[in-house]
Amino acid sequence: MIFIRFFMPIFFVLVSICFLIGTFHLPKAKLGDPNGPLYFPAGVSIFLLITSFVYLIQEWRQQQKYPEFKRLLSGRTPFLIVSTLVLGLLYALVFLTLGFLVSTTLFLAALLFVINGRSKWLLNLTVAVLFSMSAWVVFSQWLDISLP
Amino acid sequence: MKKWWLAVVVLLLLTSCSSQDAGGPFPSKNIELVAPASPGGGWDTTARAMQKVFDDEGIVKKPIQVINKPGGGGEVGWKYLESRDGHSLAINSSLLITNNLLGQSDLSYQNFTPIAILATEWEAVVVPKGSEINSVKELMTKLKKDPKSLKIGVAPGLGNDDHLSFVQAAKTFGVNVPKLDFLVYKSGGDVATVLLGNHIDAATMSVSEAKEQYKAGRVKILAVSSPKRLKGLEKVPTWKEEGVDMVFPHWRGVMGPPNMSEEEIAYWDQRIGQMVKTDAWKEILKNNEWEPFYKDSGESKKFLEEQYQMYKHLLNDSGLTQ
Amino acid sequence: MGVNVQSMLEGLMTALEPGNLLWLAFGGFLGTIVGMLPGLGPATAVAVLIPITFGMDPTTALIMMAAIYYGAMYGGSRSSILLNTPGDGSAIAATFDGYPMAKKGQAGQALAISAIASLIGGLIAVIGFVLLAKPLAEFALKFGPAEYFLLMLFTLSAIVSLSIGNMTKGFISMSIGLLLSTVGVDLQSGVYRFTFDLPQLSEGVDFLVVIIGIYAVGEVLYNYLTIDQPLDKKKRDVGKIWVTKEQWKRSRWPILRSGPLGFIIGVLPGAGGSIASLLSYTTERQLSKRSDQFGKGAIEGLAAPESANNSASVGALIPLLTMGIPGSGTTAVMLGAIIMLGVKPGPLLFEDNPVMVWSLVNSMFIGNILLVLINILLVGLLVKILDTPPKMLYPLILVLSFVGTFTMNYSVVDFYILLLFGVIGLFMKILKFPIAPLILALIVGADMEQNFRKSLILSDGNLGVFFASPISIVLILMTVLSVCYPLIVNGFKKRKRTVEQRSTNI
Repeated sequence: MIFIRFFMPIFFVLVSICFLIGTFHLPKAKLGDPNGPLYFPAGVSIFLLITSFVYLIQEWRQQQKYPEFKRLLSGRTPFLIVSTLVLGLLYALVFLTLGFLVSTTLFLAALLFVINGRSKWLLNLTVAVLFSMSAWVVFSQWLDISLP
Repeated sequence: MKKWWLAVVVLLLLTSCSSQDAGGPFPSKNIELVAPASPGGGWDTTARAMQKVFDDEGIVKKPIQVINKPGGGGEVGWKYLESRDGHSLAINSSLLITNNLLGQSDLSYQNFTPIAILATEWEAVVVPKGSEINSVKELMTKLKKDPKSLKIGVAPGLGNDDHLSFVQAAKTFGVNVPKLDFLVYKSGGDVATVLLGNHIDAATMSVSEAKEQYKAGRVKILAVSSPKRLKGLEKVPTWKEEGVDMVFPHWRGVMGPPNMSEEEIAYWDQRIGQMVKTDAWKEILKNNEWEPFYKDSGESKKFLEEQYQMYKHLLNDSGLTQ
Repeated sequence: MGVNVQSMLEGLMTALEPGNLLWLAFGGFLGTIVGMLPGLGPATAVAVLIPITFGMDPTTALIMMAAIYYGAMYGGSRSSILLNTPGDGSAIAATFDGYPMAKKGQAGQALAISAIASLIGGLIAVIGFVLLAKPLAEFALKFGPAEYFLLMLFTLSAIVSLSIGNMTKGFISMSIGLLLSTVGVDLQSGVYRFTFDLPQLSEGVDFLVVIIGIYAVGEVLYNYLTIDQPLDKKKRDVGKIWVTKEQWKRSRWPILRSGPLGFIIGVLPGAGGSIASLLSYTTERQLSKRSDQFGKGAIEGLAAPESANNSASVGALIPLLTMGIPGSGTTAVMLGAIIMLGVKPGPLLFEDNPVMVWSLVNSMFIGNILLVLINILLVGLLVKILDTPPKMLYPLILVLSFVGTFTMNYSVVDFYILLLFGVIGLFMKILKFPIAPLILALIVGADMEQNFRKSLILSDGNLGVFFASPISIVLILMTVLSVCYPLIVNGFKKRKRTVEQRSTNI
């Protein structure tokens, strides 16, 4: 638990430092104040750095508990989260090449199999096909939004 | 749960409908008009206007689809066009040239096939109603004395036509251009708002954005960048009359992907030539306060080259490139 | 402008023509449906439905577009309440108490009160429109860059102050939002910041993608934590679809107060529904005797922002119709569309074409009533969504999030951003970080920075510009108050030795 409690504040400290460094590597403005583009991000990064330290100290002094963390790592949860993310990435990769209809049907079917279980395969397939088709009809045909 | 077979049947029907991509004379499949911006802006309006006229007047028989590809000041849409064939066209404007010159994009006009220049707007210099400045000469004299004395509104970015037309004029008056204070806004509407609220001293915007405010007597237009005085703005002098040898169009055109065949180019020349002659097209131009500025593919090519040289010099003068 | 009774009546007659009524109802219905889909807010809804208006009489077209516009505003909050997935920035505040209400088995009541509140807010705004359009438009012009900067600062501080007992996390969340808002091309100088050479990032991170990522995807991931637990019976219960007397009593004043507030903020170009609804929420929470119930399903916490965001949407039409200046993304799209139809909105529209303007105003009156009817009828249908087994519903929400995201920028890069923020949303929920400050900071951050710098250019670097007008001073005082208020409350509590850790997750 110690790891989790201090991970976030330290993470934010790192984020702010990264932004700060990035800020000073920004190109200079060619017109007007050459440093114009960097005041604001620099200011916010420093503010974030300070608040993150305060957060760190607060975590140190009071024992905050996050009961939900245990659940994050138990049962099916980690598997579900990881597979959702992986499927999402795959969907993004094939979306343009396979086109909307095919990739969405596959994506939805895969998600349903993972979440809803293999035993209901017929229902899963039906929903996947019908839902993707109706989404396609609504967006592409009625709303005239260009889908691949 | 017996509906699943129905779904399969419908799916099969749909796929069979959409796969009619056979050979034959050009165009052999659906036409794509790429608007490299979100719905609502000038590029999108142009694309949708073309779609409407092509379709309503039966000029192009194949179905036409407008595709929005916003991002990177047009770059995302144009990159997409680069990978397509002659059935796809994209809207362009001077940003195609200036993005490249400013180092913001690798693509330039040479990477595409010019098809046509369609229409243009003109640029105007505007001051609030209560301003003590009554002519561009007064304005420029003031700026020459102290370039920071007046704050000038511009949208939507430095290096665009609004900005550069002002730069070109200011330069002929001997103003120290890189020292000018420009306030950059997201849209012409935002510039009009701050101008009406007297928060800025002057603005450079397209005529259409200023005209209604002018007619209501809420702003003064000091000069327009057209070769002759404009209809509805008969009292506003052109830059030429004010002693600046400048005609500055804010044009929009269309282009195709690289390596288009002669046949394809000829097809579009003929169809677009037909389109600009229709009443429907003229009506749209009038409603948007655009002016006819048609150039066919050959003329467009020459025009783009001239524009390239001009913008190169102008951007140098403005201080944006060295 | 002076109320011209004759053109007003003529406008009423035009609005009541059967053809116009039909389009009005149709537009409102379509807007509601489209607004419910994640990512498709009012601006997109109007934009994609524009082709329908081609060839229409301009008045009818304007009536229909306005109907789509506020239909989408109604629709946006449906998904906030039922799925914790706001359809648009202005519907975020509806998740704070609307979703907890739905979870408590009061989905029907939540939907009903939001429709009623929207109706009353809309009606207040239409009356405001009739009486105050011109003077308010002139007042809005007084807002220069400095005033805008301070207004945004005030809104941010008000949102952070919502997370009482958790201010550090509120500030962190806000800072992350502000940093994200700096991604993309810097308007003032044209410098590209933090874009990693991706042209898709040049216009910044789209806040709608972040909203969908954190709320919709994040919520689904978060629900995985409890997915295999037996379902709570209560959750499936949708409750009555009408509010009780007691609930109405509690929401009455918040609705009436938030209407005018939202209206005035809506008139300011660029401020818009997000700020209006969030500010009315914070105001009500600070005024309420039951402020500890806010965020846990307090009905007034839903009623207030709903009233405010609908009246803001009417207010946003004022700069468009009186001056020809679009005050928001949606009105900009509408401007483009009516220009195509040959109408030139501008300062002269009221004088040149009074009947058209008054038909629109009257149609907004009628349209709001129609929309409430549509929405109340839909309640029965919509709550069926909650009957869908979650294991079925989650994949569907995920797919809709992806599709909705794609329709915004037509770019797959947004899918990665969506997933990233889904994970961030999950962790924020587990670690009890408030989400609203991040979203609001991302929405207003870029404008805030630009206005800050413009103020300084205008004043040649003199910081006094932020204290130069009465409006600025008022805004500064309100900002200071909103930051101090929780500190005072905290101090008060510590003395009373109630060490109750409150962490409403908003």
